[in-house]
Amino acid sequence: MEKRLIRLLVNGDQHDVAVWPNETLVEVLRDRLELTGTKMGCGEGACGTCTVLVEGRPVRSCLTLAVEVQGKEIVTIEGLAEGGDLHPVQEAFVQHGAIQCGFCSPAMILTGKALLDENPHPTEDEVRRALSGVVCRCTGYTKIVEAVLAAAGEA
Amino acid sequence: MPEHTLVGQRVVRIDSQAKATGEARYTADLTLPRMLYSKVLRSPHAHARILHIDTSKAEKLKGVKVVVTGQDAAGVKWGVFRYTRDQELLTADKVRYIGEDVAAVAAEDEETALEALELIDVEYEVLPAVFDPLEAMKEGAPQIHDHAENNINIHVPIEVGDVDRAFQQAHYVREDRFLDREYTYCQTEPYAVLASYDRAGNLEIWTPNASPHTKAKALSNLLEKPLNKVRVRRINTGGAFGGRSDIFPGEFIAALLSMKAGRPVKMVYTREESFTSVRQAHSMVVDSKIGVTRDGRIVASEIKLVLDGGAYSSTGPIATSVPFLVWEETYRLPNARFNGYRVYTNKPVRGMYRCHGRAFHGGLGMQLDMIAEELGIDPLEIQLRNALTTGETQATGSRIISCGLTEALETVAERSGWKEKRGKLPYGRGVGMGANGMMVGFPMGIRGGSAALIKFNEDGGATLISGVVDNGQGNESMVVQIAADVLGLRMEDINLVSADSEVTPLDQGAYSQAATFVSGNAVRAAAMDAREQILDIASDMLDALPGELESKGGKVQVRERPERNVWLGKVIRQALIDNAPVVGKGSYMPKVDQSREWVNNPKGQHAGTFSFGAVVAEVEVDTETGQVKVTNVTGAHDCGLAINPMAVEGQLEGSVASGGVGATLLEEHVWDGGQMLNANMLEYKVPLSVDMPQIVPIIVE
Repeated sequence: MEKRLIRLLVNGDQHDVAVWPNETLVEVLRDRLELTGTKMGCGEGACGTCTVLVEGRPVRSCLTLAVEVQGKEIVTIEGLAEGGDLHPVQEAFVQHGAIQCGFCSPAMILTGKALLDENPHPTEDEVRRALSGVVCRCTGYTKIVEAVLAAAGEA
Repeated sequence: MPEHTLVGQRVVRIDSQAKATGEARYTADLTLPRMLYSKVLRSPHAHARILHIDTSKAEKLKGVKVVVTGQDAAGVKWGVFRYTRDQELLTADKVRYIGEDVAAVAAEDEETALEALELIDVEYEVLPAVFDPLEAMKEGAPQIHDHAENNINIHVPIEVGDVDRAFQQAHYVREDRFLDREYTYCQTEPYAVLASYDRAGNLEIWTPNASPHTKAKALSNLLEKPLNKVRVRRINTGGAFGGRSDIFPGEFIAALLSMKAGRPVKMVYTREESFTSVRQAHSMVVDSKIGVTRDGRIVASEIKLVLDGGAYSSTGPIATSVPFLVWEETYRLPNARFNGYRVYTNKPVRGMYRCHGRAFHGGLGMQLDMIAEELGIDPLEIQLRNALTTGETQATGSRIISCGLTEALETVAERSGWKEKRGKLPYGRGVGMGANGMMVGFPMGIRGGSAALIKFNEDGGATLISGVVDNGQGNESMVVQIAADVLGLRMEDINLVSADSEVTPLDQGAYSQAATFVSGNAVRAAAMDAREQILDIASDMLDALPGELESKGGKVQVRERPERNVWLGKVIRQALIDNAPVVGKGSYMPKVDQSREWVNNPKGQHAGTFSFGAVVAEVEVDTETGQVKVTNVTGAHDCGLAINPMAVEGQLEGSVASGGVGATLLEEHVWDGGQMLNANMLEYKVPLSVDMPQIVPIIVE
């Protein structure tokens, strides 16, 4: 097996990285680009804490090979706040007490953002369905759902 | 009631911005220069003698720096109590469950470490194993530990009053067996540890934990190093739920590897390892016999509990007692006999999980429901008749200084529409009710209390130093809120240094609801001490008595004439000139009976205070498949004064997910002998956003 040189577009920055063909996106983001805001909770696509946005859609970065997403626009949690200001979804999570241990928060926030980009005024049911790919063990989801709905109101 | 400016407010937690932006670091996010990566070789057998381990091939693999086995671990054993030290954290002689730590490798990268594991040869003599606690107790069952006959690890007997006579006088007696399944914590953050050892003999540890000082003390014992050389550092923890409290092989092995390699060593568990090789929750078999009066008041109870403890003791005596304790903390039990047995099996080690045995799944409350039906009493009524109230003394002698259980029961009944719904909903739908009481901390000797310091800078800002640890519940924010409230500062004026065993004073950790009560009161005392010093110095500056002054908005002012004031920074500078720098010091030790002991003396004041709650759940049953869906939950909890109601609601809502929907309906381990078949998050079902009901959280103060 040989390494390949690939170009990744992450949070608007271009990175040329040499990766193994079997290296997953989460590994490259965390270990090579030091973007540790993306978490790794299970490595088998079940918990969703590794969710990042690829071309605006939530993707499990532990089930995505880095070589698959060359040249595609990738957004991680580090790329969400613009010019130091929190994204409305981030702000809503903070204000509504939707964050406890914080391990699922990056994935929840990115998933919430992707939903609102596609559907700016979702119902509670739609929010719950959209977030159902990410496990939170602390909050019971109530305040996370409230935060996404509140961000929709502000957006 | 003193006037509060911040306490009681729905404040934004101090840690939430960092967590919302990905800036917050967890153990696996850390890297140190020259760091090595470690992996552990685990037992494939549930019960086997280790005859021989050959690590020579692994040691020769390029990139491998150190290999350790039980032979390097000096035979020291871990157990929470002196009398329960039964676990070698890297086993030398025998393996007792599938997934137990047998050897470990530190290498330049994780792939090399994994490859090296394949090169370690272990010769086992497989022994007969036992997986069911009731089977394990029988004569002739395989004996897992030499010291434990019939595999009984712990026996806790408690007897109060005249049980046999009370049963004779009871109007109605019933006996039932309740079973509760075993669970895994499934914290979203898998277990991880980073250990770094230097030539001066300093060991630094980062690992998700619920008590840095407890971890440090255990490692200090196990590695035979003084406490000031073992430094457990603050790090964000991705959920605990009891599963980060005990000491685990991971931190011991990482420390051992780092000491041998002279380089930092990081170990990150897979999800499967986090399921099988840290801690799990006990399963329970409860045989409960209750006698009641005509109107449903409990007069006698006799309870036998058998816990599946897995291979080692862990928190054994605590785990074995807590089910009875939470029952006696909820209901009046005038005559009670309890026999709790924690039994060894060849399964992973069981520890504390959300109130240990989560005893509320295991009897009493449910049995009261059944009795209510039998006697034609409303379940709400039978709960109210048996619920403890303020000023009463529990079966084993703890006095309750404050109890809102009656109010919680009445509130959930009213808010959920209990009277309109109970027995009146259409076929397939129904409502049920439960109650709970729980100790806020418990006697842990010197490690039962907390202390805090506050120092001030010449710009009027403060640094709070507290051992308090945050596993996600918001403890860091909570102590800052308390200190700011007392000192009349904004939360952003106070920086927190916390959860570092080298820097912060001793603290009991975040267990059994102790942090707010114990650490919070210690911080409050430190802030009050600092305030007293500040007012004392300012009294000269303002020519007023200290008692006439208040600290408010970053100033000290005369309460009745606030235009007479001085900036706090100026007071701090004056204190320095006066050679009396302001350093607030405070501590708190709950008033418990320190002679109380889990097995030998389970009598006396068990906790400084207790919290109480009640829940009404409305469910829908699919009458074809039997699938149950929880549609609405109304929960009320008496938690004392809610420091940050938003954080308290978060705790209530989270409990509905883990203890309610998860533990009651979805979660359970599936076994083939000692092999766990669903040690992954696809097949071990934790509640998702779509599984959760509408929740009404109510705070009773």
